[in-house]
Amino acid sequence: MENSIEKGNPKREKIGHLSFHDQIQRNKIKSALMIGVIFIFFIILGYVISLAVDPGYFFIIMIFATIFSLTYVIAGYYNSDKIALASVRAKPASKTEHRMFYHSVEGISIASGLPMPRLYVMESNEINAFASGRNPENAVICITTAAFEKLNKQELEGVVAHEMSHIANYDIRFMTLTAVLVGMISIIAQLFLRSLWFSNMGRGNRDSKGQAILILLGVLFAILAPIVAQIVSLAISRKREYAADATGVKFTRYPPGLANALKKIKKEHVPESEKKQKVAKSMAPLFISDPFKKKITGLFSTHPDIDDRINKLERM
Amino acid sequence: MVLWIIVGVIALIAIFFIGYFNRFITLENRIDNSLSQIDVQLKKRVDLVPNLMNSVKGYMKHEKSIMTEVTNARKAFMGAKTMEQKFAKGAELQHALKSILALAENYPQLKANENFLHLQQELSAIEDKVAYARQHYNDSILSYNNITKRFPGVIFASIYGKKPKKYFEIPKEERSVPKVEF
Repeated sequence: MENSIEKGNPKREKIGHLSFHDQIQRNKIKSALMIGVIFIFFIILGYVISLAVDPGYFFIIMIFATIFSLTYVIAGYYNSDKIALASVRAKPASKTEHRMFYHSVEGISIASGLPMPRLYVMESNEINAFASGRNPENAVICITTAAFEKLNKQELEGVVAHEMSHIANYDIRFMTLTAVLVGMISIIAQLFLRSLWFSNMGRGNRDSKGQAILILLGVLFAILAPIVAQIVSLAISRKREYAADATGVKFTRYPPGLANALKKIKKEHVPESEKKQKVAKSMAPLFISDPFKKKITGLFSTHPDIDDRINKLERM
Repeated sequence: MVLWIIVGVIALIAIFFIGYFNRFITLENRIDNSLSQIDVQLKKRVDLVPNLMNSVKGYMKHEKSIMTEVTNARKAFMGAKTMEQKFAKGAELQHALKSILALAENYPQLKANENFLHLQQELSAIEDKVAYARQHYNDSILSYNNITKRFPGVIFASIYGKKPKKYFEIPKEERSVPKVEF
């Protein structure tokens, strides 16, 4: 089955061949490692802070932060698809008008063995698409009107396969999990910085030197931790994009489809001021390409560099 | 203490036995399911044939031979009992449909016909879906075969009598990626 693609693309032998199975596996391991790093960081942070304030508070701080951020995020998790669709004012795709969209998704749904997601279209003159929903049974895929008009069948199929991969890999669930952890770390850091006002006043003279160092350390941690957590979660988001590209190719067996779609996205990038519809910043990780500016790609972007993605796809 | 270790080991072995048994069942069900998905798509294609013949009939009066070829291929498919027969007859039907669609290029009025265009799109979408369904079938077999051949799965496979399955062979000429622009 893989032969057909290989024969059609003689370039593959020249450049290092990157099997998509390998790539999915590698991405999964890296993502799991990153979740682990965030979690260890969270424990260390809580520990240092509790040392600085009072060791007795360790569990209270942890429990409070966990409960608070969990309740906050679970609500968002169960309504992720509705929130996402409402925030971009997406409309259900029509079976007659968007027939090619339906055919593409039906094909990929058969190829992946996933249930058929609900389909939506949002008004925008930029080629883009996103998937949402907590599991494959409750998934939605939304494309922009420009994506429907400007992409040909293979390209649209590539984009749809990328979005179906986010659903297949449980990326929405995964990203929600990282959001919880990042949220918890920020909350603890905030709690600590605020609590300093109270804890310091009462007992200033008890073992003041050691206490001062610990507090200083705690402040440093509390300031750095949320930033580091954010960077790690963004790194995960970028890894997930590569993973979705690789899984998408597993479904279509046709890397040029998505690669050409990404090339079109790159070429037709619409300046911020001319956009028909503004997208909320928090929605950015959901899209196939970052709806915001692409000049700086690095630690603080949700998506990997588009040229790098095209390059990787062309090596498959 | 020793007793607990023995109990623990037995529990662990039991978990492995149950786990692998369920894994085999899940994977086999996935294979069956993907096979029936191919069947569904083949049936959908056959159901479109009478409609296609009706819309083509008026324009292609002089193409009797190809018309009967399609009708016969359809009948042959309807008579197919086993999956193998269905695949073979389905491929024949697909071949006949391809030639009728190619001939349609010579009839500008037909190409302008709304109904015909719609059917043409549906047929090419179904062709894609048949290809995807086959691919998923082979993917399902791949993951089943992986587990039956790799260690420690191979041990459980021999205990439960699960043998590796054969891939779905695709005739050479069908391998090309269909290039249909809407």
